[in-house]
Amino acid sequence: MRTLLPLAVAVPLLVAAGLSAASAAFQRRNRWALDGLAILTAAAVTAMLMALTVGAGSAQVYWFGGFRPAHGVALGIDFVASPLSAGLAAFAGLLVTAAMVFSWRYFERVSTFYHALMLVFLAGMAGFCLTGDVFDLFVFFEVMGVAAYALTAYRTEERGPLQGALNFAITNSVGAYLSLAGIALVYGRTGALNMAQVGRALAGHRPDGLVVVSFVLIVVGLLVKASIVPFHFWTADAEAVAPSPVCVLFSGAMVELGLYGVARVYWSMFGSALGHRGAISSTLLALGAATAVVGALFCFRQRHLKRILAFSTISHAGMFLMGVALLTPLGLAGAAIYVVGHGLVKGALFLCTGIVLHRLRSINETWLHGRGRRLPVTGAVYILAGLGLADLPPFATYLGKGYIEESGYSHGMAWVTAVLIITSILVGGAVLRAGGGVFWGLGDAPSEDPRMAAEASEEHSETEEGRGRTPLSMVLPPLVLVALAVAVGLLPHLGSVVQAAAVRFQDQGAYNATVLSGARVLHAQAPQPPEPTGITIADVATGVGSAAGAAVLALVSLYWRRLPLLRRGLEPGLGLVGPIRRFQSGVVTDYVTWIVLGLAVIGGALALSIR
Amino acid sequence: MTPGVRRGVFLAGMAAVLAFFLWGLVGLPGFGHYPGPYGDVLNAIGIRQTHATDIVSAVNFDYRAMDTLGEEFILFAAATGMGVVLRHLREERERSAVDEARDRTDPGTSEAVRVAAITFTGPTVVVGWYIVSHGQVSPGGGFQGGVILATAFAMIYLAGEFLALKRISPVPLADAVEAVGAASFAIIGISALGVGAAFLANVLPLGHMPGEVDSAGTIALISFFVGIEVTAAFVVVASEFLEQTLIVRRH
Repeated sequence: MRTLLPLAVAVPLLVAAGLSAASAAFQRRNRWALDGLAILTAAAVTAMLMALTVGAGSAQVYWFGGFRPAHGVALGIDFVASPLSAGLAAFAGLLVTAAMVFSWRYFERVSTFYHALMLVFLAGMAGFCLTGDVFDLFVFFEVMGVAAYALTAYRTEERGPLQGALNFAITNSVGAYLSLAGIALVYGRTGALNMAQVGRALAGHRPDGLVVVSFVLIVVGLLVKASIVPFHFWTADAEAVAPSPVCVLFSGAMVELGLYGVARVYWSMFGSALGHRGAISSTLLALGAATAVVGALFCFRQRHLKRILAFSTISHAGMFLMGVALLTPLGLAGAAIYVVGHGLVKGALFLCTGIVLHRLRSINETWLHGRGRRLPVTGAVYILAGLGLADLPPFATYLGKGYIEESGYSHGMAWVTAVLIITSILVGGAVLRAGGGVFWGLGDAPSEDPRMAAEASEEHSETEEGRGRTPLSMVLPPLVLVALAVAVGLLPHLGSVVQAAAVRFQDQGAYNATVLSGARVLHAQAPQPPEPTGITIADVATGVGSAAGAAVLALVSLYWRRLPLLRRGLEPGLGLVGPIRRFQSGVVTDYVTWIVLGLAVIGGALALSIR
Repeated sequence: MTPGVRRGVFLAGMAAVLAFFLWGLVGLPGFGHYPGPYGDVLNAIGIRQTHATDIVSAVNFDYRAMDTLGEEFILFAAATGMGVVLRHLREERERSAVDEARDRTDPGTSEAVRVAAITFTGPTVVVGWYIVSHGQVSPGGGFQGGVILATAFAMIYLAGEFLALKRISPVPLADAVEAVGAASFAIIGISALGVGAAFLANVLPLGHMPGEVDSAGTIALISFFVGIEVTAAFVVVASEFLEQTLIVRRH
């Protein structure tokens, strides 16, 4: 079982290099071999990670090169499979598999570049989840980063992808440098890179400047990847131009991995040292709430199908961060379930958008209005996934969100519930509006804002030519993803199992003992007690309420001009065009300035409250 | 943001960030007060354990070989990404470079550059090869040596023509060599599993004496393949760029 840990990373890397070395053998005739091999590899890695998730028990630790720690000093690098870390990696593997199946018939002209990069990306994500060493975390952060930049620029025939990739690469590299500086600082203090060992060295001392600064630097670098306001600008630029199957991974897994990194670093290195202060919880909560609201508002105003989804991802990243920021087991468990539910439905939405682009050769909601009636199956899947995104039970999303709300409520933060419901309604409303208009021709086409339209019509088909029909290998993946989102929501005892995993994740002492002395800790204990995970009326009610609210909002905005209202000229959300243009400028120096500003504010807030 | 506003906000933010960073820096131990324990332990047991007299290489290719595997594939992904971005596009056609400034006469490669480049090509290969193959005993290794080896190809470009470089190192071949180099690293790691050891464990004989070229087991082997991969990756990247600017023009 333990041997699966290195293999989950080494196998995709080896296959990627192998495909690349033998690229001459995969000419047009042998496309099936290339795709088959890549899909098979992704599926095998997913299976390995699934096995690790289920069989991890307390936690499996693997020491590379056999360098086991002696006297609490780790000489080598370790991988740790706990249910949450291996589970997230397995989920990323599942999305890669779905994306690879979808890509089979999606790209006409594919060299081995695409498959090799996707597999390196998968290896990067798996390694990032599994590693127990903070420098190794940085290495895998870069592995997935470099593969992701190249995949964003995949359609180089146009200017957009190159620019999106460049913005993505520069902002994320700035984030990586910040993280690296933080790692250097904490290494300078502790002489250790193993997260458990660093955590042990830091615990029990008053947190001084060095600890706070290195924590903030590492976390801010990860928050850039997690597209948290004000570090989120690259997300919309990159996801608007990257190929749709690649967007599935950006939205469903990579952004969430940034948040996983924050949780991992906090709960294994800094948690005890910083003493689980309210200041950290409130700072992260504020960032999460701001991200959720800003993302939702911007999302609602978009007319570019992929940008709608990209801003929805930003908004959801904010909601996940709120779950993590509560620092409770139930909050973390809720975030974990929400990540899975969201990744599944968002993956389905991006793939449906890919089908729209493939068949109808446009991505502009206004132009597409009613034209999607030719695609009834895609339309049905899109609307279903949209309802799932708005947290309709029994999609897994409602359960995740419900747990975050419950945990916030029981800790005296009812406003968390309010923020989550409002953002869900806005985001779900935007997606359902687009789906209802495009696929069912409901209401009126939204009026064309010339500047927004110019943006949306930049997008051309990702495929060589529009097709008469959609291949089964493109319809099936979104269908399966939506079905899985329902299935996960219906799993019995999901809440209590995931919360137990979250408790283990938050028990720094148990993590230390498992990694550094190979101890088996049977009863993990988190600083905050676990909470009941029974599905309450409130969970179902807020889920149904959000979905109903989103549906109503979508209908109102579709039929806006026919409503007997006073000011027909105004459309909902029109006032947001200005801010969107101003902030989402596409100028990368603006984005870097925001990163610096965000770092200064977060650093200042924590410096004043912790010191 | 207008450039003025941006500059103002950036400088103000940067000042705050610098102050914050300084607050962290003062918490570092003073100069010469190494807090340990990593370096101390390695200095005590590293040579005995790995037979590598260059502990940096021992860390890179043995103790923390997993990091290096990741870094190797960062380079692989970067070179592959270069192929994605710079590959021939449909609307581009090949033609030789023409100086766009018509009134400028082509000075040609001067004899001095040509002679210097030819003179140094051989020694560069020897030095690069030495650095690649002696990483386990003295400062160096695959990363550094690979870069030096790649400069030999740059010398050929300087001495002759781009087309000569293209003939001796066609991009598909360099691509394949690069991929083989990267794959070999992963294969070495997996082979250790085959003999019942941990992934990337140093399972080869360590040699008689630390400091001998044939010592240090997989450290030398990994360093060798890293050298191959780095050389090929740099050749790929340089050739793709040269090809883009010298041959491929927008139609």
